[in-house]
Amino acid sequence: MKSRLRTRPNSVEIDPAGVEPAATPDTVDPETGKCPHCGTPVEGGEDEFCCAGCEVAARIITAAGLERYYREREAFAPRPRPLPGGWDTVPTTRHADGTCEARLIVDGLRCASCVWLTERLLQSTPGVAEAMVSYATGRAVVRWHPEQTDLTRLAGRIASLGYRPRLLGEEAVPDRSLLLRLGVATFAALNIMLMSVALYAGWMDSMAPRFVALFHWASLVLATPVALWCAEPFFRGAVRGLRHRSLHMDLPIALTVAVLNLHGLVATVTGGDPYFDSLAMLVALLLAGRILEGRGRRRTAEAAVSLAASVPATARRVRGTALDTVPADQLDPGDVVVVAAGEELPADGVVLDGAGLVRMALVTGEAEPVTVGPGTRVVAGTVMEAGSLSLRVEAAGRDTVVQGMVAELENAAERPVRASSTDRIAPWFTAGTLGIAAATFGGWWLAADLSAGILAAVAVLVVACPCALALSRPLAAAAGLGAAARRGILFRSADALLDLDSIDLVALDKTGTVTRGEYQVVRADDSDLRIAAGLERFSSHPVARAVVEETAARGIPLPRGRDVVEEPGAGIRGIVDGRRWWLGAGAAGELELREEGSAGVGHRGPIALGDRVREDSAAVVAALGAAGFGVVLLSGDHPAVARRVGAAAGIDSIEAPLAPGSKARWIRGRQERGHQILFAGDGINDGPALAQADVAVAMGTGAAASVLAADAVISVPSLAPLLAGLRASQAARRAIRANQIRSIGYNVLAVAGAAAGLINPLVAALLMPLSSAVVIGESARVERVVSRAEQ
Amino acid sequence: MNAIVILLPVALILGGVFAVLFIVAVRKGQFDDLDDPPRRMLKD
Repeated sequence: MKSRLRTRPNSVEIDPAGVEPAATPDTVDPETGKCPHCGTPVEGGEDEFCCAGCEVAARIITAAGLERYYREREAFAPRPRPLPGGWDTVPTTRHADGTCEARLIVDGLRCASCVWLTERLLQSTPGVAEAMVSYATGRAVVRWHPEQTDLTRLAGRIASLGYRPRLLGEEAVPDRSLLLRLGVATFAALNIMLMSVALYAGWMDSMAPRFVALFHWASLVLATPVALWCAEPFFRGAVRGLRHRSLHMDLPIALTVAVLNLHGLVATVTGGDPYFDSLAMLVALLLAGRILEGRGRRRTAEAAVSLAASVPATARRVRGTALDTVPADQLDPGDVVVVAAGEELPADGVVLDGAGLVRMALVTGEAEPVTVGPGTRVVAGTVMEAGSLSLRVEAAGRDTVVQGMVAELENAAERPVRASSTDRIAPWFTAGTLGIAAATFGGWWLAADLSAGILAAVAVLVVACPCALALSRPLAAAAGLGAAARRGILFRSADALLDLDSIDLVALDKTGTVTRGEYQVVRADDSDLRIAAGLERFSSHPVARAVVEETAARGIPLPRGRDVVEEPGAGIRGIVDGRRWWLGAGAAGELELREEGSAGVGHRGPIALGDRVREDSAAVVAALGAAGFGVVLLSGDHPAVARRVGAAAGIDSIEAPLAPGSKARWIRGRQERGHQILFAGDGINDGPALAQADVAVAMGTGAAASVLAADAVISVPSLAPLLAGLRASQAARRAIRANQIRSIGYNVLAVAGAAAGLINPLVAALLMPLSSAVVIGESARVERVVSRAEQ
Repeated sequence: MNAIVILLPVALILGGVFAVLFIVAVRKGQFDDLDDPPRRMLKD
């Protein structure tokens, strides 16, 4: 086993520019600069790196000849962190030419230059056959020759720059058939339209009948594939609806297309008005609406997959004197594994030896770490914040507590689909249209003759086709989903977005939702923090990261520590500003900083660690209240802690302590009293509550499984997108309502006209796009309404 | 007016060629990713 005692270099040895400033670590250097790689302020002038990771990153970039990145980037790079192993156990796709392929998600890509850098670095790695990184989705596809390199090395290359690769599973290929259908339908519609313009113009000064017939036959040739192939999704939808004994919105559409096509065929042969222009345009418009809706849904699905992608889990297993790394799910009960600070526990088990702080957030939902020692039961997936221990495995892989919770969550994600308001209107609409068409047919047959009856009935069916009504929902929903996504909240479906508007009570989980859910510095004196950061600067310990990040956030340049020695579990020692310091665990949730001088031991103020309420929580809660929503804080924590967080966030109504299962029970209780509840949470332990709520929102920074179970995911570390989502929902609902009223009003007028025999093909061809344009205009306003609400 | 008899098929065939080109482009995946190529171009 490697020595647990590590000494750190106190100065940077190699500098890409070849100028290493003379190190005078015993005096405070008044000159401050920024780390050339990540931009953290540091003492010691320009070209001083903040940590070894950044220095290595810069060296790699220079060695690959990619310095251009530093000139062109728009944002600093993240600080490199060590990447857990296990990439060699990942199954990869093998191609016929012997190369392997893997798909990765890369976190931390901040600008186009980051994407360029990652892609070029992979491409310049020996053995890589092909590498592509996408800016839009953060996905990387790499293909390599397995005899020359491997995934461990490639993932390590990405991680060494500060970006974080995670493994991506199989993903559905985008559906191209709708686009093909739209292309064909548009081609046909435009060509038919050209001929129709000639026909309508020819009406006025009588066109020769043979040309009219020619145009009709040509239109028939073009319109047939539109009706038979392009409109197929609508026929399928209608049949599926009928099989489920519901009159879906696709039914009246399919009916109109079928009637129009049959009528057109007969009219072409016998010489009537075939309405082919209306048919083709109708199908093209509806397909366009469907594609727009699908695009928004695809973006959300991609984002959910990205958030759920994971770093492969491995364990270090001890057998006799041998220590080897194995995939976590291949451990057997009775195996002994060792876990070091910063690692995830690989399996459920009992602590044999060692001690440390374990963050149980995954299970309990609380950010505060728990002290463990020999005999303590621990579960897989929790994080070792400090210390190290050996563990006897009791359950691994699928048998662990966490995997059981994940499986439960996945079951809960299968929510029944509720009927949308458009679907509720559809049956009445269909029945009404058919009734009126039948009455029109009968009326004209009795009053005039059979052919007049057929013509008038067809005209009714043409103008009654709910084109605008069918477009109103997908267009407004797509606009709402887009407006929400731009503000950091991704909805799984249009239904989830539109359901949000019926919510009257918002229940928020405490840790990770109202608070940041991270272990970070909450209280510290600037000068103490500066010294602590000097000691912790090169450490990869989670506490060290918290200290350095807070120091950088306060804009304090990092001093340089000298002779730094870290003893995991026993603190860190070193010299800063020529004085000797010790930093280590103090009282619960605090770091203690001591000066160890010749004059004795001098204590400095403690550095308090803990969870912090998000900066925007109070504003969001206030805005939710102003918008008429009730806000409740649900917490598994001590009531005093929950009340303190509630006070900071401005929430009066607090339910604590609630065990994970009783959060779901509390929600069910409120639902029984008639409330519609939105629940926002972040952990696997929130699973039952997420499943019980009417609308479930997961924090994207939380557990991957909660993301899969939720209706919506907040993709940025903030609560504000929740408000944006509610506003987008309101705006979209309002647009749909307005569109429904307008399109039904239009249909009533048009049907009345058609029944009276006043509609001819020209009027029908003009009316339909007009009503659709109104719907499109109304939907386009959603974004404007949402951004106005934000001011 | 008799020119229509020739012009109409010619126009439809020309249009049809473009429709086929569009179908080929979709099949080849040219429309799968509309966000990345415009950005990539700026970096090359």
